[in-house]
Amino acid sequence: MKIRYQRWWLGLALLLIVLPLGACARTQAASRTQIVFWHEMTGPGQDQLKQFAKEFNASQDKYQVVPQYEGSYNEAVQKILHTHGTSASPAVFQSMDVSTSQLYHAHVATPMQKFIDKDNFDVNQISPVARAFYSQGGKQISMPFNTSQPVLYYNASVLKRLGIKAPPVDPSYSDITRVAKAISTKSHGKIKGLTVEEYGWLFEQFMANSDEHLANHEDGRTGIPTKVHLNTPGTQEAMKWVKSNIKSGDFIDYGAGGQAESNEIAAFLAGKLGIFIQSSAYISQLLAGTKDQLGITYYPHRNGKPANGVAIGGASLWIGNDKPKDVQQGAWKFVQFVMSAKAQAQWQAATGYLALNKDSQAQPILQKLYQKYPAAQVPSQQLARIKANTANSGVFMEGVIQERNLTQTAMAQIYNGTPIDKALAIAEKGLNDAVANTNRANHYK
Amino acid sequence: MLESLPKHTNPEEPSKELVPVGLNSATEWRKDRLYVALFLGPSLLILSVFVFWPMLKTMYLSLFLTDNFGHASVFVGFSNYLNLFKNPAYLSSLGATFVYVIAVSILTIILGMVLAVVAQQHLKGIRFFRTLFSSTMGISVSVAAIFWLFAFNPSVGVFAQISQALHLPEINWLADPHFALLAIIMTTVWMNLGFTFLILFGALQQLPSSLFEAAEIAGVSKTAQFFKISLPLISPTLFFVLIVTLIEAFKSFGLIDLMTVGGPNNATNLLVYRVYQDAFLNGNYGLASTESVILTAIIAAITLIQFKLLGKRVSY
Repeated sequence: MKIRYQRWWLGLALLLIVLPLGACARTQAASRTQIVFWHEMTGPGQDQLKQFAKEFNASQDKYQVVPQYEGSYNEAVQKILHTHGTSASPAVFQSMDVSTSQLYHAHVATPMQKFIDKDNFDVNQISPVARAFYSQGGKQISMPFNTSQPVLYYNASVLKRLGIKAPPVDPSYSDITRVAKAISTKSHGKIKGLTVEEYGWLFEQFMANSDEHLANHEDGRTGIPTKVHLNTPGTQEAMKWVKSNIKSGDFIDYGAGGQAESNEIAAFLAGKLGIFIQSSAYISQLLAGTKDQLGITYYPHRNGKPANGVAIGGASLWIGNDKPKDVQQGAWKFVQFVMSAKAQAQWQAATGYLALNKDSQAQPILQKLYQKYPAAQVPSQQLARIKANTANSGVFMEGVIQERNLTQTAMAQIYNGTPIDKALAIAEKGLNDAVANTNRANHYK
Repeated sequence: MLESLPKHTNPEEPSKELVPVGLNSATEWRKDRLYVALFLGPSLLILSVFVFWPMLKTMYLSLFLTDNFGHASVFVGFSNYLNLFKNPAYLSSLGATFVYVIAVSILTIILGMVLAVVAQQHLKGIRFFRTLFSSTMGISVSVAAIFWLFAFNPSVGVFAQISQALHLPEINWLADPHFALLAIIMTTVWMNLGFTFLILFGALQQLPSSLFEAAEIAGVSKTAQFFKISLPLISPTLFFVLIVTLIEAFKSFGLIDLMTVGGPNNATNLLVYRVYQDAFLNGNYGLASTESVILTAIIAAITLIQFKLLGKRVSY
């Protein structure tokens, strides 16, 4: 009996100690509104985001932004959908380009346009091509954030050493073939001329740059897509271009996925690969990894046809519609903060993603970067010169991930000898089936 | 695991579990039931929440198309199943999985056995090699993947450099559909080897030396000793290793995700990886559930066949 009596006191004492602590924590949180921010950035991107949150929190005393890393893009989409409406859901979240249509139709976010209109936020300072990707019906769904574009990289030092004329900044397929062939012959096969990763994103860009729509209803911009076209003059020419380079032995195939990217970069940095096409987001890694001079051009276009421009890649920021008004307002303040000219310039310098605020280019941090590496300016120039239209604003369709898997497989088949028509027909049928199923399952008419 | 098999109980002695002793009154019977509920209850509860319910739900979802949130939305009966068996990409995944599983199991066991026999020899410094042989057990999948990715790199990798030096044709291991599966098989076998080696080596070490001394005196050759004495005696262990390796091979995921992401041209898109792709990349939970049910059925069937066919030949 005595023991129980003592325990009772012990419990009470503990409670008395713990309770005020909890209350303290509560009052501290109550003074600032918590803005949970989900993102999927690693490395320098994550560091910079933490820095943004810190600066934003220091700049005002109403809101407290808490950045939380949520794994890969794909995993994050599923988490966003499945936590929506619960206390675990974020106030503001980053979600990848190809999830845009899915999140839009799932109605998990307050359209960005609402905040823009309310505050008369000047959207014209933000890149129009990037905005177009995340708009529907002229309204901004989400705010473009980390943005890259595919560009063509070449080893300028190798070209110089071998006495090869550099490709023009806006090259056609045959311009690149000429350089690739020269690299391979003049190095006696020691340096491979060219690679193009088996990658659905690049496949989409071959179409965008040829002014072609992948899905009907103008890539889903005028209605929900019901049919896709993958076998077009643009894709035919692009695939024939790759095949001709494979045939002449100037091309090296690194396959698909992360390993292909790390392999092509390793080979490029080691001076064993002359040219490759890849996201502009790799620029910092490439500049840091080699003493060789880096050359960059725009995405190659069809022979004798002007480039229509390529779409962006990356991710955008969304504000969840399941949180109270003041939380949403705080999230919007944070979005404005990271879209400022200064923040965007810092972002580009730190990560290689492109600054989307047009006033960022004049910021000292970027001016300094361009002075040191003139080529670093090329991706921003490519982004700035593109006139947004429905063919180069991305495919607004659910199942773009499936599209990427299928086109990636088609590219692998073509690179390994399957006739172009056959490989594209298989992918087209697979995707049409998937689109039909998605529309049926979600009751889209 | 093997100790718990029923064959270990002595058939002369009637099993105590079957005849309840001392349950002569109704209260005691009730008390006993209470104990049964208390002991089994928690595990049954946990199993039903984390195993049975998800299994049933998976079977249920496999009959539906699922919407953006993963909810069942349109009932389609067995058409998910039918579509899969008409899909050439799925059929090639199925084929690749069988090739992979069989190759991995056989190679792992043969090589593990060879290493175990080698490690049994009383040679100088053999302890070092014993540690070395089992060392892959301590290597995580991601580290192994990075290591092999470097080795397979067609420009700067070890294999490329060897073939360049010897003027052999260059093989693009991970990007060529003819070699990618082989590359993954090699990597998996290498990964599995440590575990298999350790188990088989342990089994060999436990065999009584008197048997081999007797065989030695009778003039039985070393080879015959291995095949006629060692192998039959460690057959339960071999059986265990075979089942574990086989099931593990069916479930292979990490190396594929890190090295080939199922490519090139679906050559390494094994069944488990396809389930992951359809569920967590494509968000197509209905189809992914269908694929899971099929995979479960295949693994169950193969395990049953193994018990039926091999179980008889194993001497415990």
